[in-house]
Amino acid sequence: MRRVGYVLSAAGQGFWRNPVMSLASTFTVTLMLLLFAFFLTTDRGLQAAVGVLESKVEIALFIDDNAKVSEVLALKARIEADPAVSRVDYVTKDQALKRLQDIADRRKDFVLANIDGNPLPASLEVKLSDARQAKRFGDELRAEIGGGVIADVIDNPQVVDQLLTITRVLSVGGLAILAMMLFVALFVIVNTIRIAVHARRDEIEIMQLVGASDAFVRWPFILEGMLVGTLGAVVALSIVFAAAGPVTGAMLDFLVTLPISLGPEFAFQLAASVLGVALLVGAGGATLSVRAHLAK
Amino acid sequence: MIALDDVSKRYPNGTFALRDVDLRIDSGDFIFLVGASGAGKSTLIRLLIREELATTGRVVVDGEDVGRMPRSRVHRLRRKVGVVFQDFKLLPRKTVAENVAFALIVTGHEGRLVREETERALSLVGLTARRDHFPSQLSGGEQQRTALARALVNRPRILIADEPTGNLDPVTSWEIIKLLTRVNDLGTTLVMATHNAEIVNALRRRVVHLDHGMVVRDEREGLYAA
Repeated sequence: MRRVGYVLSAAGQGFWRNPVMSLASTFTVTLMLLLFAFFLTTDRGLQAAVGVLESKVEIALFIDDNAKVSEVLALKARIEADPAVSRVDYVTKDQALKRLQDIADRRKDFVLANIDGNPLPASLEVKLSDARQAKRFGDELRAEIGGGVIADVIDNPQVVDQLLTITRVLSVGGLAILAMMLFVALFVIVNTIRIAVHARRDEIEIMQLVGASDAFVRWPFILEGMLVGTLGAVVALSIVFAAAGPVTGAMLDFLVTLPISLGPEFAFQLAASVLGVALLVGAGGATLSVRAHLAK
Repeated sequence: MIALDDVSKRYPNGTFALRDVDLRIDSGDFIFLVGASGAGKSTLIRLLIREELATTGRVVVDGEDVGRMPRSRVHRLRRKVGVVFQDFKLLPRKTVAENVAFALIVTGHEGRLVREETERALSLVGLTARRDHFPSQLSGGEQQRTALARALVNRPRILIADEPTGNLDPVTSWEIIKLLTRVNDLGTTLVMATHNAEIVNALRRRVVHLDHGMVVRDEREGLYAA
C-alpha cells in the first residue's frame, strides 16, 4: 500500500508543485476535448439528419393518361424489384383528385375552380431505402419518359446529396482540426511533465541509485499526466452537458422537421470517448517526456 | 566480486578517463582508491554502478557483465551496490527515517519490512534518536550517516563510497570511517575513493593508486603515497 501511496502522492505533489503550468495544460486539454466532443456530437447529429432525410426521399412518376393499367402494374412490379426501393404506391387519377379536394377543403385560401373532368395524372410514388441511389434511380426512369407509360419524373435528390457532402467535409475538416489539437495537447503535456521531472530530478537520481526500476520512476509522472487529462475531461464534459439542454432546444426549434434527439446512450458514449482520449493523451505525453529523461 | 579486465573509458572529446585498467576485488575486501582529482576514481565508480559504460574491456560485478546487461536489469545491479557520495544526496523535505525508508519503498518493499529494516539501518549508524529530524537540522556527519543508512538499508553486497569524508571535519570523518570498517567487518565489500591521507595511512588496507586513468600502484596494507 505504501508503494501505491508513494506513487499517488508523488503524482499529486507533482501537479500542485507547478500549478500554473498544470492548470494551463489542463485548460489546453479541456479545449481539445471540447472540440472533440463537439465533433462527435455534430457528426452524430448529421448522421441522424441524413438518416431522417433518407427515409423521406421520394420519387413520383406521373403516368401518361393513355397508359394501360396492365402497363402501369408491370412498371410498378419492375420498380419494386429494385433493391434501393422500399415501397411503391399507385395513386390513380381519381385518388389524386380526391387528395387535391381534401387539401382544398382544409385550406380556405385554396379554391378549386372550373375543373372540367380530371386534369391530374395518375402516379407511382416510390420510397427509397437508400437515398444515395436516388440520382441513379431518377435518371434511369427519366430515360423512359415518352415511352407511353411515364409522363414525367419528379425527384429532388439535391438535398440529400448536399447533406452527404456537408457530412463528408465536416468529417475530414473536423478530423484535421482534431489532429492538430491533439498534437498541441500532447505537446503541452510533454512540457508540463518535463517541468515536473526537472523539479524532481534529485529524487529521480536517488531512486535510480538505490535501484528503483524505470517503471517505478515513470509511474508517478504518467499518473500526473493522466490526472491532467482527467481534470480536462471533467471540465470539458461539465461544459458539454451544461450546454446540451439549451443548445439542443435551440437546434430543435431551428430544425423542426428533423426530430433528432441524442439520448442517454449517446451521452454515455460521448463521456467514455472523451475520458478515454483524455487518459490516452495524458499518459502518452507523460510517457514520452519521462522516457526522454531516463534515456539520458 | 568485482573484476575489471582491460577497461578503458574514453570520452567523446578524446581524453582517456581510464586506460587499460585490470583490477580484481574479492568478496569482503576493503580497498582505497587514491589519486589526484581527475585521475579516474569517480569514473571507475560510475562504471561499477553502470552510470557509464566502458569504451573497451569488461566490467563484472557480482558475476554479471555490467556492460552487456540490458537496461531493464540495471536496477537489480544497483540494489546489490550501495553508494554514498561526498554531497550526501539527501532529500531535504524528508526526515532521516523517510530518507532511509525511501530506498526500500522505491525498490518495491512495503509495510512492516520497511519499518524494521529502516530502524535496523538507523541503529547501525547511531541515528535512531534523530529519526524525525530533517537533513537541514543535522550536522554534516549526521547527514553522511543518514546517507550511509540509506545505502545499507537494502543490504547491498558491495558498498561504494566516493569521497565520503570530503566535506567533513577530521573528528567526524573518523566517525564515518569507523562505521565503514564495521560495515566491512560484517561482510560487505567496500570500495572507497578518498583524498584523506591520514585515514589511508592509519588503516593500512589495500590501496589502488590511479594516475591519468592508469593503475600505477596496487598494494596490500598500503599507504596513501608510495
